[in-house]
Amino acid sequence: MTLSFIFLNSTLKAILLAILGLPNPTFYMSLFLMLLAASYLLVKNRISLQFIWNPTAAKKSLIEDVLKQLYHVELSQRTTDLKMLSGALDVPLKRTVRVIESMHKQNLITSEDAHLALTNDGRSYALKIIRIHRLWEKYLSERTGFDKSLWHDLAEAKEHQLTAAQANELYESLGRPRFDPHGDPIPTELGEIIEIISTPLASLGVNTIAKIVHIEDEPKSIYRQIIKKKLHIGSHIKIIATNNLKIIFESEGQIFEFSTVVASNINALALNEQDIYEQNKIRLSALNVGETATITGISSECRGANRRRLLDLGFIKGTPLEMEYAGPNQNPRAYKIRNTLIALRNDQADLILIEKK
Amino acid sequence: MKIDKTQELLNLASELRWQVGEGFHDTLIEGIYADAADIAQKVEIKQGSVPKFSFERQLDQILTSKRFGFPIMILVLSIILWLTIQGANYPSGLLSTLFLEIIYPFLKSLSSQVGLPWWMDGFLLDGVYLALGWVISVMLPPMAIFFPLFTLLEDFGYLPRVAFNLDSAFKRSGAHGKQALTMSMGWGCNAAGVIATRIIDSPRERLIAIITNNFSLCNGRWPTQILIATIFIGALVPDHFSTLLSTLAVILVALLGVGFTFLSSWMLSRTVLKGEVSTFALELPPYRPPRIWSTLYTSLIDRTLIVLWRAMVFAAPAGAVIWLISNIPIGDQSMANQTIDWMDGFGLFFGLNGVILLAYMVAIPANEIVIPTILMLTVAHLDLLGVGVGDGVMFELDSAAQTGEILRAGGWTLLTGINLMLFSLLHNPCSTTIFTIYQETKSWKWTTIASVMPIVFGFIVTFIVAQLWGLFA
Repeated sequence: MTLSFIFLNSTLKAILLAILGLPNPTFYMSLFLMLLAASYLLVKNRISLQFIWNPTAAKKSLIEDVLKQLYHVELSQRTTDLKMLSGALDVPLKRTVRVIESMHKQNLITSEDAHLALTNDGRSYALKIIRIHRLWEKYLSERTGFDKSLWHDLAEAKEHQLTAAQANELYESLGRPRFDPHGDPIPTELGEIIEIISTPLASLGVNTIAKIVHIEDEPKSIYRQIIKKKLHIGSHIKIIATNNLKIIFESEGQIFEFSTVVASNINALALNEQDIYEQNKIRLSALNVGETATITGISSECRGANRRRLLDLGFIKGTPLEMEYAGPNQNPRAYKIRNTLIALRNDQADLILIEKK
Repeated sequence: MKIDKTQELLNLASELRWQVGEGFHDTLIEGIYADAADIAQKVEIKQGSVPKFSFERQLDQILTSKRFGFPIMILVLSIILWLTIQGANYPSGLLSTLFLEIIYPFLKSLSSQVGLPWWMDGFLLDGVYLALGWVISVMLPPMAIFFPLFTLLEDFGYLPRVAFNLDSAFKRSGAHGKQALTMSMGWGCNAAGVIATRIIDSPRERLIAIITNNFSLCNGRWPTQILIATIFIGALVPDHFSTLLSTLAVILVALLGVGFTFLSSWMLSRTVLKGEVSTFALELPPYRPPRIWSTLYTSLIDRTLIVLWRAMVFAAPAGAVIWLISNIPIGDQSMANQTIDWMDGFGLFFGLNGVILLAYMVAIPANEIVIPTILMLTVAHLDLLGVGVGDGVMFELDSAAQTGEILRAGGWTLLTGINLMLFSLLHNPCSTTIFTIYQETKSWKWTTIASVMPIVFGFIVTFIVAQLWGLFA
């Protein structure tokens, strides 16, 4: 026993002496901080560094971005040339030229005069990338808590990484969705896609009743502006007034006002006579203390776990409820539903539609 | 022929999928829910009717009002904390007398009669046994007072109202109102606070509550704070103000912890945790008279004893380590003294010293043994005669003044005192809590973040304070 103790003792001694021979920990601390700063910079500038550590992947991403851009140009029936492309993708002209050349060789694009166009191969490649992009946005909206303003950028990165097989797996696990959370159709595996016949909000006439089907997520500054106003996909709207500069409409008991520039990024589908415009549909957040109402539905903007949670708690179409009291800051507020007091935050109550009694 | 027809049907179905639009799954599911609700409505038998204006609503109006909501809350929490801290003194003293003054000498004499070798006697009794005794006597009483009181409030239905009142404040930092409860629970014990986060059903907010729980000053750290505040901060003013000032200092440190809870919740929800699913719903259950006996039983078994058991499992090896490093010599010095000398310069950089750093390294299992370890290490390092019981034997002194003398002899200044208070708030969770975090999250990633983040904050804050001190003093 004593022998092994002495042995342990001398081993520990050797190890400690080895460590103690080194300089003061202050040195390590500064070394650690420097490493931390360096790795932070690396992570932050990962995209620009990709060219150094993985040139093939960087080139593939660029090709796919070009294909996507050309597809969108084609869809909106415009044309583009090298200069416009390099501007739209924010890539130096020299690199764009090089990538276009190699795409020519791969028979992905053709050019007439200076205009660039997709070949059939190029189009189906573009649709594959768009499929992954939109599936990933759907995934982010259903299974994660990322804010909707982040979906686009995350999908932009992911679309270059997933293989077609992985995309199919994702498609199956999400319940075979056909539309992404912005209302855009997701191309099928074979490249089928429909065109949505919707009109930009700005071109709807006064008194038109319509349903919002699409909110464009690019450019980001405009998209953030729309999100901030809390306008939701699937909401019914009624145009009140419109002119060259702005458009005013009513939706779910609230008045919205957008400039024409912003409104052109929102698409709506005019409702036919069979669809009834729920005139009395308002948001739960508009209910005052002591008032009662009946739930008419949950907005399609309420997704994934949040939606299931509300359904589990009994926020179901046709259920009566009463607004009981608000917290010290008017948020959250407590509602009595099925003899239970449930507190919800106001941004959740915005997504529940009710009809006042 | 048949295959053609099937394919035709499939094509038609695929075509129609485009037309039914995005929300048809949801409509279908909502239909099922609505039907279920309908059927339930038909077969439900109701007896009597619910009065519209009940006592409960009136109580709710007061407890959640702008004027009374917050004062009542602060009052109730202060009373609980005060009862815990004051009430624990007496049973703690009793337990400490029993373990350290009656059983310890008895075991010592027993071991000398049996003739155990000195190192085995030191290892088992001075190391393992002392650490265990210390942890039990300091940890058990506050927990046995705090948890039942807290559970009673929970049972009565008051705590969900606190969460309701505070939700808007927590929402701003991306957290859940119920984090107010787990945070308060953390003032009792961080490991129990981490377990209590089970009440938060949203994954992101639950992780935030788990990772930030360590910023709640726990029972093991209140005594350290009070002692150091009395020695270093209370001494700044005349005697009759010293209690007031040191109490204020301790409250300030606890509030700083609350501030760090909010700050780090905000940071976490915007960085590493922004992709986690987040939902919100808060049920406000009806008030009901608390069931006192069953509450006492469950809170003692579920919370107190489980946590105490975990703490003991971790404290025993720590006691052994503390004894070993003080008794294994390297060259002409003990391992502890070598390490202290080695880390001293680094510690001074942060307004601390080598003794404090070593004490926090070996006392990871429980914050309760930090002060005894610091005293033992200081005495051993200075080679003070007539104080302490021997190398590797933790001890505590009866009066704050005596403790202060030893610490000042060890080179402590006001800055060391302040920075020790800050470092005691901002350092890694005890190993019991770390283990509990792993149990609750089952993820090394979150466990690592929860352990490393507070100590990074600690070094940053103590560094800034030390440097500012150097500039102005």
